Amino acid sequence: MYQNRLSYVHVVVLLFATHLSMLATVFIRGGILEVPAFLKLIAAVIGLDVGYLLITLIYQQMTYTLDFMLLCLLNMSLIFQSCFGGVNLSVRHLISCVMSLAACEAGFLLTRNHEWIRRKKPYIYAVIALLFISIIFFTDNQKKWITLGSFSIQPSEFIKPCFVLVCAASIVELHEKVKILFFWVSKDTILLCIVTALILALQWWCHDLGSLPTFAAIFFCSLVCRLCYPKAKVSKRGIALMCAAGALILLAAWNFAPEYVQKRLHVDIWADRYGDGYQQCEALIGIAKGGWLGVGAGNGSLCKIFAHESDIVFATICEEWGLLYAFLTVALILIMLMTVLMNPPKSYYHATMTAGVTAAFLAQMGLNIFGSCNLIPFTGVTLPFISEGGSSMLTCGFLVGMLKAGQSPLFLHKSAKKKKQKAVKTS
Amino acid sequence: MKSIRRVQHLISIMLLIFFGVFAFLIYKLQTEAGFYISNASKVSMGFVYDRNGDVLFDPDADAQIYGSDYFVDIGNLIGDDSRQMTNTLVAQNIGTLANFSFMLGEQEDGQSAIHCTLDHKVNRKVYDAFGVKNGCAVAYNYLTGEIYICFSKPSVNILNHYEDLATLENGSLICRVFQPTVPGSTQKISTTIAALESMGYENLISKSYDCTGVYLNQDAKEIKCHKSAGHGIQNITEAFANSCNPFFAQLVEDPDFPLDDIQKTYEKMGYLVNAEGKQKYLDVNGISAYTASTTLESKTDFNTQWGCMGQGETLVSPLQLMVWQSAIASQTGKCTYPYLIDHTVKVNGTPANQAETKYSGQMFSELSAGYMREIMLDNGRKNYAGLLPGSDVGVKSGTAQIGNEKTENSLLVGFVDDESFPIAFCIEIDNRVTGEVSTNDIAKVLLKNLHESFYPAPDEE
Repeated sequence: MYQNRLSYVHVVVLLFATHLSMLATVFIRGGILEVPAFLKLIAAVIGLDVGYLLITLIYQQMTYTLDFMLLCLLNMSLIFQSCFGGVNLSVRHLISCVMSLAACEAGFLLTRNHEWIRRKKPYIYAVIALLFISIIFFTDNQKKWITLGSFSIQPSEFIKPCFVLVCAASIVELHEKVKILFFWVSKDTILLCIVTALILALQWWCHDLGSLPTFAAIFFCSLVCRLCYPKAKVSKRGIALMCAAGALILLAAWNFAPEYVQKRLHVDIWADRYGDGYQQCEALIGIAKGGWLGVGAGNGSLCKIFAHESDIVFATICEEWGLLYAFLTVALILIMLMTVLMNPPKSYYHATMTAGVTAAFLAQMGLNIFGSCNLIPFTGVTLPFISEGGSSMLTCGFLVGMLKAGQSPLFLHKSAKKKKQKAVKTS
Repeated sequence: MKSIRRVQHLISIMLLIFFGVFAFLIYKLQTEAGFYISNASKVSMGFVYDRNGDVLFDPDADAQIYGSDYFVDIGNLIGDDSRQMTNTLVAQNIGTLANFSFMLGEQEDGQSAIHCTLDHKVNRKVYDAFGVKNGCAVAYNYLTGEIYICFSKPSVNILNHYEDLATLENGSLICRVFQPTVPGSTQKISTTIAALESMGYENLISKSYDCTGVYLNQDAKEIKCHKSAGHGIQNITEAFANSCNPFFAQLVEDPDFPLDDIQKTYEKMGYLVNAEGKQKYLDVNGISAYTASTTLESKTDFNTQWGCMGQGETLVSPLQLMVWQSAIASQTGKCTYPYLIDHTVKVNGTPANQAETKYSGQMFSELSAGYMREIMLDNGRKNYAGLLPGSDVGVKSGTAQIGNEKTENSLLVGFVDDESFPIAFCIEIDNRVTGEVSTNDIAKVLLKNLHESFYPAPDEE
């Protein structure tokens, strides 16, 4: 039923081989300034691998594929982040990785039962509302961060998994439609549209235009899933109206975007090399310097550029590790998202959730990679699993947990299960 | 399950789109890496050569090797890697010249190079023929598109490393061959083509108008002729040769020649008319060249009529004036696009990017091109017989009034009617004064030296 193409032992060997080969590359080509620092990095990577593998042995699941891939990615990320500008273990990123693994388990446990989630839907809306309030009243001048001592939290990141959940949890209510004007719609769909509009408006107000396309992508996926839903029966007129509305919103956003957005949309980075195009120019130069095989971990020059570990992290990896490594890293994330094609979701709730998670990851990856390489406007979002940032890592972990839930679902509530077992016994 | 499969398809499509864009990004990064790296720091650069192997750009050039003014005629065309000038061949192709490959990184002994179509020796001779006068000249093969001569004076001596920036004359850092200029009476070529397209040759040749020296147009504005006594009654061939303004004013006013027709033909030829839309540019291996623009408001409007004669708000680049000659000389009505790079050499010494001749769409009919060619050749025979002994040259001259008519720039455009020497050219001299070097003199030097370069004397071979 569930397809794990590789055995547990094989995957463990593959995991260790990947990380050890990366560490060997750091040893051979990297800029190791102090041997103890390098040893610390080895200990952290191996420790995280062994620790998490032991935990997965205790917590029995139907599939481990995503756990291994996440662990593989997070440790790769730890090695990347610890080598920027010289080899030195990034304890901060190590903590983020551990938190991400924990968030993955939390995401898995909280979202695998669609009945339970359906009942808790009001709480998800409440969490979104709380995050809204925290953004409006408790964030800094940029309306992005809440600073707690030496920690900073980005609340808008946490809205992403909540929004995916809301999109997925409200899908089963589609058959409960009411007629409003000329259209038959479900109340949940109306509520979802209102929440979406509020989220997009909030992002616009916060000038957080990097997250805006991610939310739009999640909503778009949810909309398509609604159209594909067997009980949806959306008329052609309805589809045409939705397409027209979407096109109108896009056109309006393009035309009436504020000046700073227009500037980003039309900036010639090479003409404004030391102004708005600085980070992108340096990123592209760094990628060119790195070539296919890179200049060696810790030997790059991009580490002196602002946001080298987050917004332009793809270029920093390209410079130090080469485009080949960067490609393999992105390919690994894509393969992780592709597991859903091998182990199909078992319910429409799980399918919608999986599509939303995929859309969120792809949108964010696209914005980060294509933006830093000047294919699209540069928005300054993080690269999932790779960029430094606790909020982003936590969210990514939780979203992977949701992906995992789609592949290891739970259809019966525990009490219902017990009742069923009792009934079987008595009979 | 069917609906879940649909969602899987949606996920597959999203993944495929992402992967497709990512693959394109890798291709882009790989091919443009040379450009990126050349923006980073001092990277080893290759040379630019002319068609005979003469150096046009050497990243380490100095006066002792080449002579103090060796690069002066091509300073603002070929340029250098200092980023002082942007619309130059080196600046626009700096990635091609970088001795760098994405696979191997920087190669100190790389063989990156650009081989140009220019003939530096002839270019320099024509440049020197300008003497103390400023201006520009461009000539190309109207059958293949190879540019043989292209310069703009004043120019910049790149061997001075821009230490004399403060004392440089205005316009030294831009090649004016690619910049808009007032075309003067050379504009009458476009107007004649528009008339041929609108009326047809038979109808046009049957039209004759009287020139008494001054023509009072329908808006009661005076259109003066350069011959104050007037040219009398003329047809189009005579008026074209006489460059008679009153004739062309009356032609524009003629009911058989609707303004819409002028606008349509002009737009097909590349003009931006009445600022409707975006200005068009020709691309010469990355160098951006202005095409043409004008204002057409009403048939009886003075400025419209004046614009159809190359004054007022009409602007054309010398390159575009030359390029139109290809459509006329070849009698196809299609322009041959010019190019400067014959081929490039990759860092590993492999030739690449061999130039190919490209043509524009149909700008005007073959019939109109043929008649226009005859009218220009007739003008050449009557007024410019000695330009190239033994060959017919189709020509149109022009005088452009610049800056409130205080100065007059002289222009000459034309083509050689010889398939074995298919040269089209445009020459412009700033502030031309009678008695000084003329466009006619420059054209003679240009055609003679180019001809000698095409067919060298036996002892030179």
